[in-house]
Amino acid sequence: MSPDGAIKLVSELLDLPLIDSDGKFCGIVDDVELAGSPGKALTIKAILAGPGAYAGRMPRWALGLVRLVAGNRITRVPWAKVRSIGSAVQLDCPANALGLDKSENRAGRWIPRKGAL
Amino acid sequence: MTAVGGFVDISELVFAAKAGSTFGYALIWVFAFATVGIIVFSEMSGRVAAVAKQPVFNLMRHRLGLKLGLLVLAASMISNLITCAAEIGGVALILNYLTGAPYMLMAVAMAALFIVSIWVLPFEWIERTYGLLGLFMIVFAVAIIAIHPPWDKIAGGLVPQIPPGLSTKELLTFAYFTVAIISAVMFPYEVYFYSSGGIEEGWSAKDLLTNRMTSIVGMGLGSLLAVSILANSAQLFGPANVDPEIPGSAALQAAIPFGKWGLILALLGMFFAVAGAAVETCLANAYSIAQFFGWAWGRHKKPWEAPRFTMTWIILFVAALGIVLTGVDVMTLVEFAVLFSILVLPLTYLPLLLLAGDKNYMREHANGRLAKSLGWFYFAVITIAALAALPLYFLTSGGNG
Repeated sequence: MSPDGAIKLVSELLDLPLIDSDGKFCGIVDDVELAGSPGKALTIKAILAGPGAYAGRMPRWALGLVRLVAGNRITRVPWAKVRSIGSAVQLDCPANALGLDKSENRAGRWIPRKGAL
Repeated sequence: MTAVGGFVDISELVFAAKAGSTFGYALIWVFAFATVGIIVFSEMSGRVAAVAKQPVFNLMRHRLGLKLGLLVLAASMISNLITCAAEIGGVALILNYLTGAPYMLMAVAMAALFIVSIWVLPFEWIERTYGLLGLFMIVFAVAIIAIHPPWDKIAGGLVPQIPPGLSTKELLTFAYFTVAIISAVMFPYEVYFYSSGGIEEGWSAKDLLTNRMTSIVGMGLGSLLAVSILANSAQLFGPANVDPEIPGSAALQAAIPFGKWGLILALLGMFFAVAGAAVETCLANAYSIAQFFGWAWGRHKKPWEAPRFTMTWIILFVAALGIVLTGVDVMTLVEFAVLFSILVLPLTYLPLLLLAGDKNYMREHANGRLAKSLGWFYFAVITIAALAALPLYFLTSGGNG
């Protein structure tokens, strides 16, 4: 599906995985940022990814637990960077260009880069 | 072939041996019935991986939403963690039989070995090492031929039945064993591991036949090993009133016809099969978490290429080891693993059933009439089994009457 047409937010976009131009999983569509005003068409401005975007989508106790473990980060992915939407949202640039790799990189500091065949 | 070796885990070993000694051949049909169930759901999960090119947990969150998805994730995490602890305990116990080394020390050593082997070895090697060496368990199938069992009674066991003349207490125990075997054969981790493996190997629609054959042949032959253990137990332990209470008892089945080498082969087969199950449960858990949150994941990547996934499976191994080190008995862990798995089984298989039938994702490869009918039938069965599991567990003191 092209990102230019009409889209059903919940059934066709929300909670789909994000895949960058290198084919890497780099997040989930946790929320969306909309633009529009009364009498005008509603358009999607950006995808919001990261545990900080869970607010309002889960019970407060669960949100607290998730934030304790995963933090409160939100990464904003401009809608113009979406190439296509299917069983995943395909982005047209690498994750690092959008800041979607920060948590992975932070965790990577703890992992030694040796020993694997 | 790796699926065959990877099919049998500590719970199946224990329940197959106990079922045979307690009820003779009367529970063989439950193994056959549950095997068809795991084939149906494995085939679906492989098909979803090949066609939608997304692992089950990625799509499950989209299909169920964040709240319900998180509930399923938590339920399957707890179930897999307890199962992983049971497998680590089981493998430590088998090493204890083989070497006489202390059980706790062996549990620590094995958890360390698992972490090192997953870190060092490529995915194919992990599968082959544990899966193929688990095929030493074929000694159980050869043993049943060697002891000349009553084949007519074994064939009769394939017919769904309740043995006549059972007291109410025995009937309840029979029902508990039925539920436990369904749970042990249909552990959800097998399906998650299988579908994630399909993604890692880059399956596409042209691999659908391979997927179907792997599900049917792998799970089917693996189930034959479990049935061999049951039949051996019915023939050797039942008449002698031996209750194979500990996993090592099953190995004696191969010792009776083949002596010392039979025993060693059986223990080695059990060791690799249970070790493989420990690796699968832990990786399946890490796959689920990483997929749910959209992290990079996969054992085809180097550990540092998917750091959060790597940290997750290491932490899960340490957590499972922590459960073992509390000193809880392996048999108790096995019972909890089976009990908790059946409780969460409907929650974990429902999303898969919905996904595999969804034409938006699956197009012309969505569930056909047969897959749909079988899928919903088995879903109804596991839901009934899940509702009955806790009452039966308490009424029978975990199948001990």
